[in-house]
Amino acid sequence: MSLAPDTSASNSSDSGQTNVPFPASVIPLDNGLTVIHQEIAATPVVVVDVWIKAGARYEPNAWTGMAHFLEHMVFKGSEQILPGMFDAAIENRGGLTNAATSHDYAHFYMTVAADDLPHALPYLADLLLHAAIPADEFVRERHVVIEEIHQSWDDPDWIGFQTLSEMIYGDHPYGRSVLGSPEVLRERSPEEMRQFHRAYYQPENMQVVITGGISLEHVLELVQTTFRAFPQRASYPAVELTSSPRLCTNPRNTLALPRLEHGRLVMAWLAPGIDDLASACGLDILATVLAEGRMSRLVRELREDRQWVDEIASSFSIQQDCSLFVLSAWLTPKHIQQVEQVICDRITSLATIPITTTELERAKRVLCNDYAFSMETPGQLAGLYGYYGTLAKPELSLAYPDYVRAYSTEQLMSLAEQYLSPNHCGTLALTPA
Amino acid sequence: MTASTAPKQTSITTHLGNGLKVIAIENPAADIVSARIFLPVGQGHETPENAGIFSLLTSLLTRGTAHRSSLDIAEAVEYVGASLGADSASDYSLVSIKTVSADFENIFTLATEILREPSFPQNEIELERKLTIQGLRSMQEQPFSVAYKCFREGMYGNHPYGFSSMGTEETIMAIQRDDLLEAHSQHFRPDNMVVVIVGRINPEKAIALVDNLLGNWETPKHPATAPRLPPVDSHAYRIVTPQETNQAFVIIGYLAASVKHPDFAALKLLSTHLGNGLSSRLFVELREKQGLAYDVSAFYPTRLGPSQFVSYIGTAPENTSVALDGLQSELRRLCEVPLTAHELQVAKNKMLGQLVSKLTDILLSYSAGTRFWD
Repeated sequence: MSLAPDTSASNSSDSGQTNVPFPASVIPLDNGLTVIHQEIAATPVVVVDVWIKAGARYEPNAWTGMAHFLEHMVFKGSEQILPGMFDAAIENRGGLTNAATSHDYAHFYMTVAADDLPHALPYLADLLLHAAIPADEFVRERHVVIEEIHQSWDDPDWIGFQTLSEMIYGDHPYGRSVLGSPEVLRERSPEEMRQFHRAYYQPENMQVVITGGISLEHVLELVQTTFRAFPQRASYPAVELTSSPRLCTNPRNTLALPRLEHGRLVMAWLAPGIDDLASACGLDILATVLAEGRMSRLVRELREDRQWVDEIASSFSIQQDCSLFVLSAWLTPKHIQQVEQVICDRITSLATIPITTTELERAKRVLCNDYAFSMETPGQLAGLYGYYGTLAKPELSLAYPDYVRAYSTEQLMSLAEQYLSPNHCGTLALTPA
Repeated sequence: MTASTAPKQTSITTHLGNGLKVIAIENPAADIVSARIFLPVGQGHETPENAGIFSLLTSLLTRGTAHRSSLDIAEAVEYVGASLGADSASDYSLVSIKTVSADFENIFTLATEILREPSFPQNEIELERKLTIQGLRSMQEQPFSVAYKCFREGMYGNHPYGFSSMGTEETIMAIQRDDLLEAHSQHFRPDNMVVVIVGRINPEKAIALVDNLLGNWETPKHPATAPRLPPVDSHAYRIVTPQETNQAFVIIGYLAASVKHPDFAALKLLSTHLGNGLSSRLFVELREKQGLAYDVSAFYPTRLGPSQFVSYIGTAPENTSVALDGLQSELRRLCEVPLTAHELQVAKNKMLGQLVSKLTDILLSYSAGTRFWD
């Protein structure tokens, strides 16, 4: 295997913007697998975070929920490892393990004492590469996943977000729930899941990120001996190709829910995906100017001064195909209309009047420090590298602060004009039934 | 994994002249400094008439001082991208900050100002009152919170732990500005306070900074009041609260030892064995083997007063009685069958391992905790 760490490791990002050398090594192995490693001296723990391009977006329509269900089934063992053995092997020695699935990825992580890695990694690799998906466990675990779905149905914020996603994403997979539905899951078979597994849990889709108290040499030796013999590729129902979603209309809905103590107003705009990280960073600045912190425009006006909302918050999440700019307010239902009007007015003015330089400086400081605060632990670093490695490339994870710092108020104005029209936005109100 | 393999750090623990305890720990790994200021005052000092007063009081600390308005404070914090928060829990209250190193001195200075000289502006009291009440109501949206509220009230009655830390709508409506001023002057005092500073900062400089800002705070003449915790009657309850939800939550809990009790550590190990992690007894027996739940776990909070040993499960409504039986039989088994040597060792490894993984947080709360729980 060619390791060639000199050609790929420690290169600075080629975004052309950042001057910080990339502190991790990125090693492509011959079989297509990517290893990302950063040694953190004086840390007694090691974090392994394996990211796989096997999220819900890769499911055929009729298999909705398969990627997440498979994430559960991976823990049910392989031919060598009985159900529960992996969890016990990690936790018996004081380690932690878990996993998560989104539209763009599934990832599996564990934190173990540095000395335990040679013992722990073979287990994780065997589960990921050779998940057995036993039929009886499949049926049992389906009950667990259905309970997870039931739990989400009792969460009004989840229902609100899911409903809004369906409204704005249309046929794009981002509009479907990652959890799927009980009806669809009951139709699926263990063999179909094995097909999905063999199709996507392949080396070229996988990033193995290892951070903490362990050397690169040792990591490569361990990964090369454990992440080999990938499953034979399977054919699978083709995923319908969908173009990036575009929101040309102005969908609006009101949903009445039982047991609701707060009204909600959620408004969302589509934004560029990871391919245009610069624009995404600019929109993150605008989200902060609008509704992050007591000094932000909407928190100050709507919660502190007019007191029409109990809480208002913005979120900007970067995804592969397109990102989402969201404003969410928790409020008395009688104020929904007024608040919606204020939000539309303030959004509109972003495209016509530049924000002040003080506002811009505040947003930059808040975002750049939040970014720094999110890189403190080996687990956070591993997550960051794996996420960017899966969506684009790991080096891009360092570009964020430079993109943010480069913005001027004029550039933000044209960005707002391009992406934040009140005429291209999805709006959902939740009211008590 | 053992705690002794933690990264090397330089630290100083000392007391100022007024009794305030300071712990400064240098950790140069990142360009960040965190500080927490602990006070041993919380729900334990509340009565059924003023439940929630310390939660309301701490939420108002960032909303005005003798020298600055709410917006002045927000401006000072947000323009340097720092965080400043204040909060109250069962047995303590807490002011916490996080900054990049260069901003630490300024923001820590502000933190000591909100701690010593809050002004409790009337308009801000009304706003926080409204937000607190809405917070209490929105907890009723979540099935687990509804179940836990009933459980807590059934177990503790009028004991302060029987209330939400936010109090009740009635008590929050009744609290006046004078009550807040009185509670602040009574309980916010340097002689029982602990300041912990961790990050890229020289420990001697950190101690000097604290001395400079808090060293001249005079200890009141009256002694600090200990929490007045009434006795709790322990008897068996079953409470059923029907809700139109997709899941039913079942909680079984017992009154349990306080942190000062000799059985505390043993109960922590039992709770860990029962409900901590994917290999815990409840997870394996009720989720892995029976598929009854997604969420099944146990917890045993660290409390100065009578704590609670709790297990719970969220399940389909038609499985409620199976889930209840399952929880009961696992709890009975804990009483009847001793843990094997292996099970005990695993529980110890889990507790110690998680201690190392969450080292920074544990350092912050443990160091201060030893003071309160001595």
